[in-house]
Amino acid sequence: MRTLDPQSLTKHVDRLYRAAWALCGSREDAEDLVQETFARVLARPRLLQGDDELYYLMRVLRNTFLTSLRTASRRPVKGAVIEDVVAADPRPTSRPEQAYEVQEVYQAISQLPDNFRMALVAVDVLGLSYKEAARALRVRESTVTTRVFRARKQVAAGLTGEPAQREQVLETRREGTGASGVSYSEENPP
Amino acid sequence: MSEKSPPTESELVDFVRSIDVPAPPELHRRIEAMVAAGAPAGARHQRRLRFSVTGALAAAVVAVALVLATSGGGSSTLTLHTAVALTQRPATMPAPSEGADGDETLAAHVEGVAFPYWEDRGWRATGERVDRAGGRTVTTVFYHGPRGQWVGYAIVAGTPPPSVSGGHVITRGDVPYRFTVTNGVKVMTWLRNGRLCVVAGHGVSNATLLSLATGAGRRADAA
Repeated sequence: MRTLDPQSLTKHVDRLYRAAWALCGSREDAEDLVQETFARVLARPRLLQGDDELYYLMRVLRNTFLTSLRTASRRPVKGAVIEDVVAADPRPTSRPEQAYEVQEVYQAISQLPDNFRMALVAVDVLGLSYKEAARALRVRESTVTTRVFRARKQVAAGLTGEPAQREQVLETRREGTGASGVSYSEENPP
Repeated sequence: MSEKSPPTESELVDFVRSIDVPAPPELHRRIEAMVAAGAPAGARHQRRLRFSVTGALAAAVVAVALVLATSGGGSSTLTLHTAVALTQRPATMPAPSEGADGDETLAAHVEGVAFPYWEDRGWRATGERVDRAGGRTVTTVFYHGPRGQWVGYAIVAGTPPPSVSGGHVITRGDVPYRFTVTNGVKVMTWLRNGRLCVVAGHGVSNATLLSLATGAGRRADAA
């Protein structure tokens, strides 16, 4: 057990940003999500088990993301609302083709059911081991394995766009739909 | 990727794992400012944590409430509630210095819209913070008045500006200034060079907010 050193967190900003982007599907929302995640983490001292804080950041990122979804769904529209206008992204990129592909893939990931999306982001985007991802998401390691396996299939099929695979995607999504953190009945990889 | 041959799952995994897009420099800067501002407070709280479980729980409740109150839900919509809440948070950076041009502005600006220099009117800039909400960058400079009053002056980046409704409007020099009460705080909003400005005040009247914004009254309106 050790206390989280806030100074050590800054080295994870890039990876956390990519994870947030894949969760949200939008760079602007990803920036907000990363900032709120750090605000939560820094709000008070944190005790960690183990050496790597990345799994802990993933856990807070997940919780912040889910809270934001719930809050957004509950928020009524009031009179004094600033109607946001999406501004064009001013950031240029030296490799526009890759930027397009990254956006395309992250967009596909963001369309996954919550549980599949979290697992894929934790393992493939953030680079956690299955064991660390299981700790971050508070599920069994075998559950993470199953979800990552199916999430990859869905994303690949979604990018391919073939009808037969789309049907499989829909079928898998039905199986994966549900509140985050709730384990499925099928826990073993196919 | 979709314009090429369909990716296999292993190709997809390789591609996803190879992505090394960095976070925007401004996000890095904001996080570093948060860490710099938050670390000492965390250390102080840690000492209390050993002796007071109740205190720790209260701090956690406050932290969660603060996040809920100011996050705007992480959605793509910036609400006036969120913008005002940002002006109520503590500064994370030192106050900007006086502008070099002697035109009664500070060195800080948002897309060319500078924050005003009010020290000759009894209002001293005391800190600054930068936030990202609803896909927009919100920069706030805090000013303290001669009798303990203070205001948070936020400029929302991006054009066209978000529109604000409700409250009542007073026009000065063809500029409409809109007054509302949000989160129990007096708020004035208006546009400067197409950017939305939000000033939320504590212990100040609407007349003072207006005179500060319009430059009328000089030192006498600091009351």
